[in-house]
Amino acid sequence: MTAALLFAQVEKVATPKLDWAATAPLLILCGAALLLLLISSLTTSRPARGTYAVITVLASAFAIGTAGVLWARVTDAERGAFTTAAGALTVDGFSVFFIVVISLGIALSALLADDYLRRENLDGPELYVLMLLSGAGGIVMAMANDLIVVFLGLETLSIALYVMAGFNRRRAESRESAMKYFVLGAFSSAFLLYGIAFIYGATGSTNLGDIAGFLNANTLEHTGLLLGGFALLLVGFGFKASAVPFHVWTPDVYQGAPTPVTAFMASASKAAAFAALLRVFVSTFAEYRLDWQPLIWGIAVLTLVVGSVLAIVQTDVKRMMAYSSISHAGFILVGVQAATAQGVSAALFYVLSYTFMIVGTFGVATLVSGKGDEHHGLEAYRGLSRRRPGLALTFTVFLLAQAGVPLTSGFLAKFYVIGAAVDAHSYALALIAMLSSVVSAFLYLRIVVAMYMTDEEGAEPGPRVRVPLGAGVALGLAVAFTVVVGILPQQVVHWADRAIPVVLASGR
Amino acid sequence: MIAQNIAFGILAASSVLAAIRMVTTKNVVHAALYLVVVLGSVAANYILLAAEFVAVVQLLVYIGAIVVLFLFGVMLTRAKLGHEGELDNDQRGLAAVTALLILGILGYVLVDYFGDDKLPQLNRTHEQLNATRGTGAVGNAIFSTYLIPFEVVSVLLLAALVGAIVLARRD
Amino acid sequence: MLSAVWLIPALPLLGALLLLVFGRKLGEPWSGVLATLMVAGSFVAGVVTFLGLLDRPAEERQFLFHVFDWLPVGGFNVDIGFLVDPLSMTMVLFVTGVGALIHLYSIGYMHGDRGYPRFFLYLNLFAFSMLMLVLGDNLLVTFLGWEGVGACSYFLISFWFEKMPNAVAGKKAFVTNRIGDWGYMLGMFLTFTTLGSITYFAKDGSGFLQHASGLTGVTATAIALLLFVGAAGKSAQLPLYVWLPDAMAGPTPVSALIHAATMVTSGVYLMVRVSPVLAQSYHWAPQVIAWIGAITALFAATVAVSQRDIKKVLAYSTVSQLGYMFLAVGSGAYVAAIFHMVTHAFFKALLFLGSGSVIHGMHDEQDMRFMGALRKLMPITASTFIVGWLAIAGVPPFAGFWSKDEILLSAWGNNKALWAIGLVTALLTAYYMSRQVFMVFFGEPRWDQAHHVAGEAEQSAAAVDDERTDVAHGVAVDEHPAPTPHESPWTMWVPLVVLAVLAVLGGGLNLPFNHDVSFLANWLEPVVHATEVVPDVATATKVGLAVVAIIAALAGIALAAAVYLKQRVRAVEPELLLHAYHYDDALAAFFGGPGEALAEGTAMADKLVIDGAVNGAGTLVRAGGSRLRVVQTGYVRNYALGIAGGAVLALGWFLVRAGL
Repeated sequence: MTAALLFAQVEKVATPKLDWAATAPLLILCGAALLLLLISSLTTSRPARGTYAVITVLASAFAIGTAGVLWARVTDAERGAFTTAAGALTVDGFSVFFIVVISLGIALSALLADDYLRRENLDGPELYVLMLLSGAGGIVMAMANDLIVVFLGLETLSIALYVMAGFNRRRAESRESAMKYFVLGAFSSAFLLYGIAFIYGATGSTNLGDIAGFLNANTLEHTGLLLGGFALLLVGFGFKASAVPFHVWTPDVYQGAPTPVTAFMASASKAAAFAALLRVFVSTFAEYRLDWQPLIWGIAVLTLVVGSVLAIVQTDVKRMMAYSSISHAGFILVGVQAATAQGVSAALFYVLSYTFMIVGTFGVATLVSGKGDEHHGLEAYRGLSRRRPGLALTFTVFLLAQAGVPLTSGFLAKFYVIGAAVDAHSYALALIAMLSSVVSAFLYLRIVVAMYMTDEEGAEPGPRVRVPLGAGVALGLAVAFTVVVGILPQQVVHWADRAIPVVLASGR
Repeated sequence: MIAQNIAFGILAASSVLAAIRMVTTKNVVHAALYLVVVLGSVAANYILLAAEFVAVVQLLVYIGAIVVLFLFGVMLTRAKLGHEGELDNDQRGLAAVTALLILGILGYVLVDYFGDDKLPQLNRTHEQLNATRGTGAVGNAIFSTYLIPFEVVSVLLLAALVGAIVLARRD
Repeated sequence: MLSAVWLIPALPLLGALLLLVFGRKLGEPWSGVLATLMVAGSFVAGVVTFLGLLDRPAEERQFLFHVFDWLPVGGFNVDIGFLVDPLSMTMVLFVTGVGALIHLYSIGYMHGDRGYPRFFLYLNLFAFSMLMLVLGDNLLVTFLGWEGVGACSYFLISFWFEKMPNAVAGKKAFVTNRIGDWGYMLGMFLTFTTLGSITYFAKDGSGFLQHASGLTGVTATAIALLLFVGAAGKSAQLPLYVWLPDAMAGPTPVSALIHAATMVTSGVYLMVRVSPVLAQSYHWAPQVIAWIGAITALFAATVAVSQRDIKKVLAYSTVSQLGYMFLAVGSGAYVAAIFHMVTHAFFKALLFLGSGSVIHGMHDEQDMRFMGALRKLMPITASTFIVGWLAIAGVPPFAGFWSKDEILLSAWGNNKALWAIGLVTALLTAYYMSRQVFMVFFGEPRWDQAHHVAGEAEQSAAAVDDERTDVAHGVAVDEHPAPTPHESPWTMWVPLVVLAVLAVLGGGLNLPFNHDVSFLANWLEPVVHATEVVPDVATATKVGLAVVAIIAALAGIALAAAVYLKQRVRAVEPELLLHAYHYDDALAAFFGGPGEALAEGTAMADKLVIDGAVNGAGTLVRAGGSRLRVVQTGYVRNYALGIAGGAVLALGWFLVRAGL
């Protein structure tokens, strides 16, 4: 080997083939972020109100559009799923499903943020930029075919979220929540990274396809390292998905963060966490299912119980919903625990319907909280049906959906995960899940009752509630989805069924 | 081999001791300086493993940037520079137990899996080693196998940049 | 003609949608008229379908109507579809028939209410849900209706939601029903896993009732009892009955429609529907149902004896009569259960509407102690109410006698002790209903006392906590100087008259004399023939039992007459019974005591561990250190410890798995 040869090698870097269509959603989101920055720095006058939000929504819509094209390609029996960029990204139904879910999360949260930012006098492109970049990180997590890529996606998602949580600088709670989220997030990332190192040590690769191939082909004599890696990965993913006991940050951060950001966190960020969890555990570590299933079982039980019981004792609606979102994570874990195709598609259905429900819920909270983002107590909702019958009805739909009342998508979501658990013979878990849904019904009911009670004599009426256009559109979409899918779920179930993650070796 | 083992022993001992001192010292500046020792030992370990590039990056990034940032942070936030009695809190007992448990479990796992396995002896020339571990190889990998991670890191940095502006900006 | 079945639920749904959009514009009375017409149309569609079914030979009387594929479950679809058979058509006819009458009645009753269109919207929505429940061709569609009627019930109880007791009662109904729903869902999932289907009957024979015979005893028992938990919640059986008496806080037509005639009987319907599963379960499973039914019947009848609120008496009476139906179901007398359900719908709806007419005429007075001698002022209400009374008391030839007699007969065939309980209940029923009639329509007029003793009444209301003097319309008694009772408008008394006729003639549906006049039994035969238990009793015994029942009924009436009419005997109305054995209080005490302590405990844990940063900030400020630092990082270390602790547990688990 001469130096000349080395030099020649450097000259000809064999860059991998990149499928542009497959990465288009990512490029669109990042491109839109750059565009927003460009516009705001190149124009001297303020652009027309809502410009930033519209661009964000359009970008998400384009991302969803390209995802639609991809969907046709990956579900085509002859072409099927594939990997791109040297096996770093997988493009399968699962990826496409999450591209859509996360883009929806971005679009809906952006619609909520539009008026919020003006109301709080924070108008500017930064929140949207962060949202788009964070969403792109989430999509990377969902598409990742390599643990390193999963980790980087998670970090991109998180870094942007930390800042978003502290976006309302004037509120101490907002700053505080950002700080907490950041410190704890970094802490849990360390666990995740260590877990990746363990998995690498045990299998000799970070590529999911290679790992799965290795685990299928070899029987490990000492499984400690591998299983230790599982545990550490679970800590990292569990943290992002707010599974108990890694949920500790959730109530504070959800409560403190600006409400549209909370909506984004609860929808897109949680979806991304579950995407990673499903792809890595259910598909890649399928061989060691019997080892990790019981642990997920335990986590699911804890999450369900803690989420629903602690939600009841809250008085702050936003905090209540934070706990409620924890218990929803428990339900999704019920689907994960089943570790069957049915379980995965149930979890996917849950994630999608949950995205709409929770964005809608926090959307209503955004509007009711009023200027300063501070009216989150139950008393702010008292008599809402008088002041804003439409809004009260909308909120009722979201709450009933969260409680799992039939004819809403929430019912079917719960029905499918519990059905999957029963099918996988996890009877006890199914029982606990049902019980927790009964318990949490109290909580949702409490809010509904508060809304439909008129003010007591002498009590001052709650703050005036305005419903701006953007938020109205977002809430309308969310209600429409919740109700229509609750009645006609066929198509969505069909999508979820075809979005089971596949794990492909990097060769393909 | 023996020389390597002795070197590793010294490095390991110094990094463990420094790490312990770092969390027990009551002086913030001292803690930052102990961190330098820890990170430096790690960098030296990389050299022992013949990964010069990583070692240099470790030095540049961690000691050159991060620790300096720490010290700046300490200076700018007007934290007490000298002896500080409140760095500890009553949770430290529990924290120590938890940390030791994690250490024990992770250590056990590593010993259990690798035992006293030896790395395969490779009779390679310096050039061959360079082709797989050297700076050139790292460069190649970044633009081939790890293209996507590399690009994602750039997005991550962009997010961090925007975030920094958002947080630092005055109203 | 059978295809007209889709119109049956579609019309009320259309009505609900129209009212949702145009309700405000239509206003009073047109929104009420629209709603009534929709349910009446649904009744007509029901009759058409019924005739279509009648046209077929008995063994072919089953028709499946597929609406659309609803949701995929496992490898196949659960569709929205209707099962038309004698059982569902019986339910449809009386639900729409009685429903239409009650809609008509509400036009007058709700006169002047602020939420007039909204009330009819809920009422139509309820009719739709109830019809889905009875027509659904699988457990899930039934469940859909099941939840729907529950939600409508909740909305209608809370109808005057400004009132705290209404909201609380609505909440109670919701929660108790959730417990029942839990049983239902479990039963449904179990059915699905063991039988692979939740469709009752399918054309290809894959319905779960079609191969229920393949079930093992233990599975069948589990399914049957789980579904019974659901049925007990919906049909207010012990121990889940608590919500029904409280649900009387709703408007009276709601009490009549939902809490007497239709919704509360859906539990009975469900048990009859899944009777093939019940037949397959261990022998003790139906016995459990029979005993719970019998004990509920007796329990509620004793409570009804001491109630003062006119609607509370009827509420406990409903619980008691539902107990009878479950006694019949548990004894395998499905026809008798359905028969009693139908006759009960007639006379109980009549009684409720009658009581509503009384309340209306008395300007919202509900305490029977302040009524009396109303028969002269409200002749139509009084005479129809008396018909209802005779029917429920079991006096021949009124409807109640025939159906109750059949239930007692089947109880006799099952277990003599059950029969004895049923007989005592029959006596009590006659007693408390007579007490009510005498207190309200006979004796001295006491309504002018209401004004003077309003204060006392309120005190007792506060003490009893379940009596409310000004339930409806937000009109307090005190605002009216000595109200004079008056007869109600025609929209209110016409339904009363129709129902009274039905309460007289309803027994003719199923006469025991010979096979040809047992119309209902013959009609239902294709549905229940495999599972119906025919008591093996000689004709002489049958007649003897009937005579004993008549004597019991007359004895009850005579006793009540002696106490309340002639006042020869002092009334025995123990406080214990007024408070329904303090069962409700005990529940409340539990949830207020240990239950609340538990919740408080978790709340404390939450505060200490998780809420710390928010709530504990003050404490920490005192402990030293600047406020800002406390707020920003004070508790992060706790959180981090939590996460690390979780990591240790997770690692520990895997190490055990790996064989440490």
